[in-house]
Amino acid sequence: MRAMIIDDSRAMRSILRRIVSGLDFETSEAEHGQDALDQMNAGVVPDICLVDWNMPVMDGYTFITRVRDNPDWRDVTLMMVTTESEQRNIVRALAAGAHEYVIKPFTPDAIVDKLALLGLLQPDAVLGGGVPA
Amino acid sequence: MNVLTFFDTDAGAAEAPSVDDVQAVTEDVWLSLLGEQEVLVPRLVPPGTPFDALGVWSAVASISGGWQGVVTIELADSVARPVTAHMLDIPAGTDATDSDVADAVGELVNMIGGNIKSLMPGPSALSLPSVAAGRAVFASDLVEACRVDISWRGEPVRVCIHVPH
Amino acid sequence: MTAPSAFASVSALVRRETSMVYDEGKEYLVEARLNPLAQAKGLDLEQYVARLAFDADERRKVIDALTINETSWFRDHSPYQAFTDSMLPPLLESRSMTRRLRIWSAACSSGQEAYSIAMLLDQHLPAGWEYEIVATDISTQMLDRVRAGRYSQVEVNRGLPATSLVRYFTRVGREWEIAERLRERITVRHMNLAAPYPALGAFDVIWLRNVLIYFDATTKADILRRMLPMLAGDGFLLLGSSETTLDMPPDLTASWRRDQIGRVPAYRRASAMTLSRTGA
Ligand SMILES: C[S@@+](CC[C@H](N)C(=O)[O-])C[C@H]1O[C@@H](n2cnc3c(N)ncnc32)[C@H](O)[C@@H]1O
Repeated sequence: MRAMIIDDSRAMRSILRRIVSGLDFETSEAEHGQDALDQMNAGVVPDICLVDWNMPVMDGYTFITRVRDNPDWRDVTLMMVTTESEQRNIVRALAAGAHEYVIKPFTPDAIVDKLALLGLLQPDAVLGGGVPA
Repeated sequence: MNVLTFFDTDAGAAEAPSVDDVQAVTEDVWLSLLGEQEVLVPRLVPPGTPFDALGVWSAVASISGGWQGVVTIELADSVARPVTAHMLDIPAGTDATDSDVADAVGELVNMIGGNIKSLMPGPSALSLPSVAAGRAVFASDLVEACRVDISWRGEPVRVCIHVPH
Repeated sequence: MTAPSAFASVSALVRRETSMVYDEGKEYLVEARLNPLAQAKGLDLEQYVARLAFDADERRKVIDALTINETSWFRDHSPYQAFTDSMLPPLLESRSMTRRLRIWSAACSSGQEAYSIAMLLDQHLPAGWEYEIVATDISTQMLDRVRAGRYSQVEVNRGLPATSLVRYFTRVGREWEIAERLRERITVRHMNLAAPYPALGAFDVIWLRNVLIYFDATTKADILRRMLPMLAGDGFLLLGSSETTLDMPPDLTASWRRDQIGRVPAYRRASAMTLSRTGA
């Protein structure tokens, strides 16, 4: 499985990268929505994108609508990971095509649980841990 | 937990998040990043005390829309660097660079700001963070509405909410 | 450091009141959880422990502090999948006259298990059906939480699908509150699994998950024995993923039949099933 981590903060990308690579995902990173689109257009198409909302150049909400506009990327799972936590925004993101939503701040467990929910984890990956403390 | 905080009477009717909320949101951020081993503890600070650490980092995110306000975090360099090292997984013995610290502290205010925003009337937008080495400076048309002084490993951290006059 | 005698007396207290086994080596945990309680009373740990002998209120707080309440929404996922896919269909068929289901969340902690089931029933029960979920626990503090139906951001982040979050919860300040229409289906009762059971009626599905692990073998066997009459003849008992009836005395392995549903073992009443199959 390949995960693309899209967040303007290097620190946040590093935290997420450690969690998902501990679950045997290959990771790539993008600094904002446009960067992610460029990489995907260049052929780096992940199984799942972890997407921040507030970013320069292109925000995560716009990114999600762009990905959903492209039928070639129908199989890409989209999970928001953002501090935006109003009910209204969660509804908007889901309506735009996000499959899951994690609110920052989160613990590593939250990411693991959601990936399991999305069917992206091998059962033993969940039990075997491998998540950094 | 009792934390000394001060409401500026000049703030008048301007709506502000409660001290409890700001403190809880900040604690949640710390807990999620650093675990339960080293938690934030209250810090008693007399009214009007400037943020008194030696080296200081500050980060600001503003909220605009249904509610207007500015969320600021100030932290001692001696807090900012280890927290940054933890977030970026920088090995012990290697120093976090200033650009690392700016990135990490910006993410702190982003997380706190987004959660504060969700507690206030909306819809509102959260700005991207801006980070400075040094204390935060506020425009004269802003007034402090809420402040939480805490410490981590004995070093000070302050989160403030300012609202328009 | 906890004095050994203080630890021994706390561990005896917890054992007496909950049957949970707090072995030596757990001193640090006892200390970390009881220190705040002692401080609140202005006592040191040993003074506080001495006081427990004659202070029932503080004893209750100690029990609350020492029970392990770890839980999450749709915990382990597969039991919930098995519930909707494989247990509900036969139950809907056999209960088509009464159109009523009764579920028991038998160590409900803060309620995530009971409310996860409620969300599934809300989605999968045909119109005109009723359900009741009885949620019991030994910790009164946890029961208050189930009644309140309010969860922190950290809690709703764990295992709850975002679609369910927006469908069944409303944000109230920093917390998320579960919909009234689910809350009113939950009956909350204080109950010690290791003591005689009050009359609760029979249940169609019993969720007894992640609690047997804290008991010794005798208590486990007792509980599983007393679960038999609590379950409808064609009902299902679900245990935690590390719990089984396999290592139990012969009478129990004979009375509980293990039915593998996908990755989930469900336990059924062996005798009742035989009876109904032979038409007796
Ligand atoms: C780890 S939680 C399990 C929660 C939930 N069933 C799950 O699987 O996520 C264990 C619960 O068992 C409760 N408990 C411990 N001893 C008990 C007893 N003797 N009777 C009833 N409940 C008990 C605790 O208070 C705690 O809420």
